[in-house]
Amino acid sequence: MSLMLNHISFKPTEEYHLNDISLRFDSGKMYTILGRTLSGKTTLLKTIAGLQTPDSGSINFEDTDFLSIPVWKRNVAMVYQQFINYPHLNVRDNVAFPLKQRKMDANLIEKEVQEAMEKVGLIGFESRKIQELSGGQQQRVALARSLAKKAKILLLDEPLVNLDYKLREGLREEFKKLFNVSDESNSILIYASTDPLEAMQLNGDIIVIDEGKILQTGTAKDVFENPATAKVAEITNDPAMNINKCFIQDNSLIMNDSVQIQIPDELKSIPNGKYLVGIRATDIYLDDQGFAFDVEISEISGSETFLHLRNNNLKCVATIEEVKTYNTNEVVKINFDKSKIYLFEESGDLRHSPYQQ
Amino acid sequence: MNFKHKYVFLLPGLIVLIGILIFPIIFTVRLSLSGWNSFNPGLDFIGLKNYIRLFTDDPRFWQSFFRLSFLAITTVFLQYIIGFALAHMVWKDIKFKRFFRVLFLIPMMTTPVIMTVIWRTFFHESLGPLNDFLSIFGVQPPWLSSPGLAKVSIIVVEVWQWTSFMFLLMLAGLLSLPKEPFLAAAVDGASPFKKFIYVTFPLMAPISIGAIIIRLIEASKIMDTVFVLTSGGPGTSTETSSFFIFIKGLREFQMGYAATASFTYLIIMIISLTIIVKVLTKVLMRE
Repeated sequence: MSLMLNHISFKPTEEYHLNDISLRFDSGKMYTILGRTLSGKTTLLKTIAGLQTPDSGSINFEDTDFLSIPVWKRNVAMVYQQFINYPHLNVRDNVAFPLKQRKMDANLIEKEVQEAMEKVGLIGFESRKIQELSGGQQQRVALARSLAKKAKILLLDEPLVNLDYKLREGLREEFKKLFNVSDESNSILIYASTDPLEAMQLNGDIIVIDEGKILQTGTAKDVFENPATAKVAEITNDPAMNINKCFIQDNSLIMNDSVQIQIPDELKSIPNGKYLVGIRATDIYLDDQGFAFDVEISEISGSETFLHLRNNNLKCVATIEEVKTYNTNEVVKINFDKSKIYLFEESGDLRHSPYQQ
Repeated sequence: MNFKHKYVFLLPGLIVLIGILIFPIIFTVRLSLSGWNSFNPGLDFIGLKNYIRLFTDDPRFWQSFFRLSFLAITTVFLQYIIGFALAHMVWKDIKFKRFFRVLFLIPMMTTPVIMTVIWRTFFHESLGPLNDFLSIFGVQPPWLSSPGLAKVSIIVVEVWQWTSFMFLLMLAGLLSLPKEPFLAAAVDGASPFKKFIYVTFPLMAPISIGAIIIRLIEASKIMDTVFVLTSGGPGTSTETSSFFIFIKGLREFQMGYAATASFTYLIIMIISLTIIVKVLTKVLMRE
């Protein structure tokens, strides 16, 4: 059993929202669609759910033409970025809503609802009104509703993005458990996210999407170690991977007049010419013998400090493993971990990855 | 702020309130205890005689009251159904949406009395266009001169005139609904019909109650339509409470008795509308 998307395109205005998307989702597996905002993630999920009709292409599920089935007959559940519930119903009736649509036996509904609410930790809130719940609880209700439906396809559109940090971490842990449970039901799980870290944590197959186009599909490890293009490398890292123009000449990698590094042995086979060099923010470290950069902005994030640096026209972001305040225009000396350097062709295609054999 | 004459500033409002609301009510109560009529114009005191007459010896008042209840409930029910249906229709993205929205509002913008005159012409037994058309099928119903059909005519005119108002309120209500529950309902497997039953209708319950109550109050005052269309006839078969009070007070000049009828009517309306609100809230909002 699999869900097949064949050449789906959707172009409501001048720009493509979905551009010739072909994907295959197998049941019992989990997929993460990773992309920036407005990259087409939500549109893709809505198209699968049936809330949006594509201009061209076809969707097949269990050998039936999915596009000819109206949304309410598709066996799909969806959790939205906003907490969407029924404001006129209490928690129990909210969770039971999809089951009642199927004219199920009342006792069976009660059992399923109880089960779903137990999974998301809503026991004791059954007769509360939706408006009386906090944001996190409201999202749990939406989640319980989608779980109770036991749909063949479960779509999660950035379900955690509107929650505060602590709740997000907590629910994400629970998500992993929930997904393992739903694995048994052999459903397809598609999770859309803008957060590379979240995508890596969920550890499913990753689909990288940008401007309505699929850039790369693969396991989390695959996408992280061998991004297909410079764009993928930017999307799948937070902060984005530093991509800069450079050229290679006589065994040195020249980024600008003052920043030039000797290339490591494994790069020596690469002919001279223009390339894009990619370095993760975490692979830049402070070094007194290094290159001088001006600090443009420094921001503290948890136990790390992000430094936005500049050397003439060369810009990069570095992650420093300590909390320290830097002043604007302060000069810091940094160096690059040469063993972690990526090279992309000028067109953006990957030329060299440190993880390549 | 603790000076002596501060209440003086309340006077303008208070005088208006007393002049147009409190005084008339008190005067009506006093009037209802008098035998004021054209032979004996004056505020004499006859005790509860008028009330005793109304409650024991005047089936015409009670008939007109039950007739009014029937007409008001029927017309408001029809207005609600039709108004909601029309609003639901132009709520979705359909062609010429704006055109229809304005079209459905036109009846409300017309003058009721003039429209009723036009309807009277329309319903005219031998000269009206309706019977001219129906004569093709060989029937010429007496629209205004049979007791049953006269009520139907009044209902038709009232529904035609005031469905617009219901439509307007219901459309405003629909447009103010959050979109999200509908998204969720579609994915949760609700067919368009069930979506209406389980999502649209319950979400519209509060505004439905408001609209129904406003219309019930308005419909209970029905007077101009009856006056122009049938003048309460044939016989008294389309006479409503307000029309009855009008006849007693301003035609027969039994001012005292008309005041008794008015005051009794007011009390009954307050009690019954309170009950109706309670019942509607219970039924529609399941509380």
